[in-house]
Amino acid sequence: MKKKILVVDDEKNMRLLFQEELTDEGYDVILADRGETALRMIREERPDLVTLDIKMPGEDGLSVLRKIREIEYDLPVIICSAYSVYKSDFSAVAADHYVVKSSNFDELKSKIREILSY
Amino acid sequence: MSSRDIPYNFTAINEEALEKLKETGHADIIIGIPSYNNAKSIGRVIKAAELGLAKYFPSLKGLIIISEGGNIEETQRAVNALTDKHYFENAFIPRPENETGILVAKYLGPSGKGTAVKAILEAGKFLGFRAGCMLDADLRSISPEWIEMLIAPVALKNFGFVTPYYSRHKYDGTITNMIAYPMTCALYGRRVRQPIGGDFGFSPELAESLLAKDVWESDIARFGIDIWMTTTAICENFRICQSFLGAKLHDDKDPGKDLSPMFRQVVGTIFSLMESYEGKWLQVKGSRPTAIFGFESEAAPKPIEVDPENLINKFKDSLPLCMTVLKEVLSPENLQKVEEIAGMDHALFELPEEIWIKSLFDFAIAYTKSPGGLGPDDVIEALVPLYYAKVASFVRKTINLDSHQAEEIINQQRYIFEKLKPYLAERWGLDHKRGVTG
Repeated sequence: MKKKILVVDDEKNMRLLFQEELTDEGYDVILADRGETALRMIREERPDLVTLDIKMPGEDGLSVLRKIREIEYDLPVIICSAYSVYKSDFSAVAADHYVVKSSNFDELKSKIREILSY
Repeated sequence: MSSRDIPYNFTAINEEALEKLKETGHADIIIGIPSYNNAKSIGRVIKAAELGLAKYFPSLKGLIIISEGGNIEETQRAVNALTDKHYFENAFIPRPENETGILVAKYLGPSGKGTAVKAILEAGKFLGFRAGCMLDADLRSISPEWIEMLIAPVALKNFGFVTPYYSRHKYDGTITNMIAYPMTCALYGRRVRQPIGGDFGFSPELAESLLAKDVWESDIARFGIDIWMTTTAICENFRICQSFLGAKLHDDKDPGKDLSPMFRQVVGTIFSLMESYEGKWLQVKGSRPTAIFGFESEAAPKPIEVDPENLINKFKDSLPLCMTVLKEVLSPENLQKVEEIAGMDHALFELPEEIWIKSLFDFAIAYTKSPGGLGPDDVIEALVPLYYAKVASFVRKTINLDSHQAEEIINQQRYIFEKLKPYLAERWGLDHKRGVTG
């Protein structure tokens, strides 16, 4: 059965790029454009892993991450942010991994494979 | 039937304390302070606990329990000195209608922090508590907010165990950074940054589970109580989180000058627990993060000076004395590499990650399997020179890095521990098989 990945990002083009890259890897990809939607989809769609942007309108990614850890304690989350500066924010330690966005998806794909193999 | 109705033999609480607990009847929150002659510092901890309870949980009934292993009269005097409660006014915190009780009791049983903790857990069980925390009696940096951060995740968010997340200097907590943290991650798959922190929050269910363990007469509960509680909480599947508490102030320790008995106690307990939870850790691959709460302040922790040259000298001086044991403990490849490293110039000296980690894994196996009739203390004693070498290498690698960058190095090390775990599992399995078949 295909693993389901929830991509949370406020930029439409970025969501579509993630969808294309991860679908090619054989994952079932679902999309959310903001934190509130993501939390609802986590409850309803039960994804196997979440990729989470940080800078989003409304609730930011680190706040969403804290809420994810309360409702789905063990759900794997990879932060995908254009900013490396949040990596040193202590809240980010609750994520499985932190990837700085780039046109190269190799690191993200490799981490997803690794985490989903646990 | 609630857990309070099940007959339980309270073995660590004395008669007088039991009578006081009966008078108290019930408490929603317990704050335990294991103490051993900490009369000079305990007043500050009690004040912070009282203020924290009044500020953040004013409607709940709290009890502060000081579980003393030393001079109880001195501790009682320190508590009596707090009777005017002026610190509530100073902190702009209204005094609660039901003032927090303070119980000072000398625990019964083997001397040590483990028994002090047991008495606190038993008191909590007797009182039917809803959330509890433990605080070190010699804390200098505690504030009332610590009570909120340790209690709220249990009382409000249903977590079973709350571990501290301190802001520490890169050279503070080297036993944690080099051994306890990466070993806990690699073995049990849960990234708990301060597994031996000493200040914890806990649920009644976890307290119940800990009290039911048959370890209270052993060295595990006596000396390695913090790592034992963390490991048990992980392995028994309690929901664990971390709370940011800011800086933790304590006396400076240069690992080369003052390697306390803590090294022996913590490392020995980590190794012992590998036997108890063999069925768990052999199944674990990688590690998962742990939820975190709080607000990170930018206050820089006090710098700690570590002299790597002193550590390298200690490694080189003490290694020959341990060679007989090392030949029994280390794999031939690791032994050869350690000997080569001992011959290196100071300027080029480095203990590579892989050699350190594989050697540590060799020691874990030797500790539990006693090759050549070695006792556990002999094994830990022989690990000390390698630990010096590891700390020296870490200090050299991070000397120009800030704390965040050093933290990245620590997490890279943690990742290598996880990647090399198959080496441990394979050697553990072979050694066990050898033991079974003779």
